[in-house]
Amino acid sequence: MSASALLPVPVLLPLGVATFLLVFAHSLPSRLSTVVAILTATIGGLICAFLAHAALDGPVLHWFGGWTPASSGRPGVVLGISFLADPASAAVAAFAALLFAAALLFTWSYFDEALSHFEILMLLFLAGITGFCLTHDLFNLFVWFELMSVAAFSLTAYPLGKSSLEGAFNFTITNAFGSYMMLAGVGLIYARTGTLDFTQMGRVVAAAGSDPVLSGGFCLIAAALLTKAAIVPFHMWLADAHAVAPSPVSVIFSGIMVSVALFALAKLVAQVFIRDAEVMALVRILLLWLGAATALVGGAMAFAQRHLKRLLAFSTIAHLGIMLIGIAAVTPTGFGGFVLYLFGHGLIKATLFMIAGIVLAVCASGDEIGLYGKGRSIWPAGVVMAIAGLLLGGLPVGLLHNATESLASRSPTTAVVITLATALTGAAVLRAGARIFFGCSGAPGVEITAPTARQHEKNNRGLALMLTPCVALLAVAVIPGWLVMPFLGTAGARLIDPFGAGGPPMPMPPFSVVTFAPIAMTLVLVLFALLRERPTRPLARKLFRLELLPFRGMQFLHSGLVGDYVAWMLIGVAALAGFLTR
Amino acid sequence: MSVFPWLVAAWLLGIGLYGIITSRHYVHLIGCLSVLQSGTYVLLLGIGYKWGAGPPIFYDHPAGTPAVDPIVQALVLTDIVVGAAVTALLLVIALQVHKRRGSLDPQELRPLRPDN
Repeated sequence: MSASALLPVPVLLPLGVATFLLVFAHSLPSRLSTVVAILTATIGGLICAFLAHAALDGPVLHWFGGWTPASSGRPGVVLGISFLADPASAAVAAFAALLFAAALLFTWSYFDEALSHFEILMLLFLAGITGFCLTHDLFNLFVWFELMSVAAFSLTAYPLGKSSLEGAFNFTITNAFGSYMMLAGVGLIYARTGTLDFTQMGRVVAAAGSDPVLSGGFCLIAAALLTKAAIVPFHMWLADAHAVAPSPVSVIFSGIMVSVALFALAKLVAQVFIRDAEVMALVRILLLWLGAATALVGGAMAFAQRHLKRLLAFSTIAHLGIMLIGIAAVTPTGFGGFVLYLFGHGLIKATLFMIAGIVLAVCASGDEIGLYGKGRSIWPAGVVMAIAGLLLGGLPVGLLHNATESLASRSPTTAVVITLATALTGAAVLRAGARIFFGCSGAPGVEITAPTARQHEKNNRGLALMLTPCVALLAVAVIPGWLVMPFLGTAGARLIDPFGAGGPPMPMPPFSVVTFAPIAMTLVLVLFALLRERPTRPLARKLFRLELLPFRGMQFLHSGLVGDYVAWMLIGVAALAGFLTR
Repeated sequence: MSVFPWLVAAWLLGIGLYGIITSRHYVHLIGCLSVLQSGTYVLLLGIGYKWGAGPPIFYDHPAGTPAVDPIVQALVLTDIVVGAAVTALLLVIALQVHKRRGSLDPQELRPLRPDN
C-alpha cells in the first residue's frame, strides 16, 4: 500500500474502532475495550511515524474521492479536500497517539463500569487531533477543531462532579465562542480567496497582497486558535478545565490538545499568510509580546497555586507562551524549536498530570499544603515527580532543554522571559513535590491566595501500573537532542514550504549562560519557598501582605465566571484588530 | 451584496456577547450562545449570496443557471449540526449542575471555589 493511500487510515481507524466499541459496548468486557483502544492508538501512531519518515523524501498527499485540482478542469480552481503529511505534521500526530496510548494505559480499570464510553470518547478525540494535524483544507481544519472540542467538552464533564461540571461549562462556552469566530474567519478568507485549500489560498494571498478582509479573517481564526491554546488574554478557561477534568484527560489536554492549536496556527501563518505583510507584522510583533506575557503570567500564577492540578494547568499556560515566542519568529529554526518544545513539554507535562492522578487516587486530595508529607508511602511517585520537575525547570538534559535553549537564543529579551517562566514553573512543581512526598516544609507563601477544593479519584489499581506510563514517557523525554536535530531541520523548513527542499539539520545551541540559568534560578526559588518562615514581626507581616497583593489581584481576575472570560476574549480580539488598524 | 446582512450579523454577534457576559442563568446563557452562532450564519450566507441567483440545485435547471455559492451553505449546514451537539451537551451539563447544586447562577457556580 502506498503512503498516500495510507494517509487517511490514522483518522479512520480510531473513528471505526470507536463506532465498533459503541455498538458492542454492552457485550464486550470493559478491559477488552481498553486493550483495543490502546492497540488502536498504538497502530495509528506507528502509521503516523511511518508517514513522518516517508514525508522526509517529499510530502505525502491524499485527495479524498480523487478530487484532485486537475479534475476540476479549470486552472486555479480547487474543489477537493486533501490531507497532507509533511514531516512535522505526521510526527505531531504520532506523538498525540503515543500520549493517548499512555493515558489509556494509565486509566486501566479506572472507568470499568461505564460501558466503554470513556474509551470511545478518547478514540474520537484522537481521531479529531490526528485529522487536525494532517488536513490541508481550512474548513476541514474547522471540522476537526470542532470534533476534538466536543470530545474534550464531554470528557471534562465525565466525572459529573460539582467542579468538573462547572469547569466543563466554562470550557464549552469559551471554546464554542472561539469556534464561531473561526467559522466567521473561514468565511471571510473564503470570500476573498475563493478556495479553502492551504496551497491555493497561499498563492491567492501572495498575489492579492494585504487586504482588510483577509487580515480580519486571519484575526478571527487566530483568536479561535489562541483561545484553544490558552494565550493571554484568551487563557482563562484552561486552569478551570484542566484542574477539574479526570487526570488521564488532563494528560491529553496539556500534553497535546492545546499545543496542537498552536501547531495549526504555525501552519496557517507559514503556508497561507507568509506573503501578507500586514499579517506577518501582527505575527512577528504582537504575537511575540502576547507569548512573552503568557509565559510570565502563567509562570507567576503557577508559582502561586496550591491545588496540584491547577498549578500544572498554569504551568502549561506559561509553556504555551514560550511556544508562541518560537512561532512568532516565522523561521525554519523557530518552527523546528517549537515542534521540539511541543514534544519535550508534552512528555513531561503528561507525566506530571499522571503523578497528580496518583496523588488524587492514593491520598484523596490535590492540595499541596493539606497533603504535607502524606505521600511518603508512595515515594517512587515522588522521585518521578522530582525528575520531571527538574526537567521542567531546565535541567540541561533531554528534548525540552534543547528546545528551550534554541528558542531562548533568539534575543536577550526572549532569553530572560523564557528563563523566568521556566524557573517559576519548575520551582512550583518541585515545591509541591517536596511538600507532598518528602515532608519538606516552609511556611506557605503566595500560594495561600489560591483557590482549592476537596477532590479525589478512584484508587483501584496498583502503583506500579500507574507509574509504568510515567516512566516510559520520561524515558522518551531524556533522549539527547542531537538525535532529532536532522529531522527537525527538514521538518521546520517543510512546515513553511511543504513542497520545497528540506533544510540543514537544526544547529545545536552552544553552551552559554542560558544553558544553566533556568535550573539555577529554579533551585534558588525552591529553596526560597521551602526555607521561608512564618512572618511574626510587624514589619515582616507588612512585607508579606505587600508580596501577596499582586497575586491576590491576579487570582481575583481569574474569577471563574464565564462572562468575565468571554469579556477578556473580546479584549484579545480587539487587541488583534487594533494592531492591524494602527 | 448590500451592507444589510453585515449589519444584521454584527447586531446578532453584539447582543449574543452582551447576553453571555451579563447572564445570571445558565440556560439564558446557552440561548445567547445560539444567538451569537446565528450571527456567523448570516455572515456566511451573506458572503455567498448573489442577486438574482437561485438555489444551488441543478435537478430541474440546466447547468450554467446562476446560483448562490453552495460552499458557504455547506459550511453553515455542517456548523448547524455541530452547534446542535454543543447546545445539547451544554443543556445536559446545566441539568446536571442544577441537580447537584440547586442553582444555575454562574456567580454561585465557580469551579474550585467551595466558599461560594
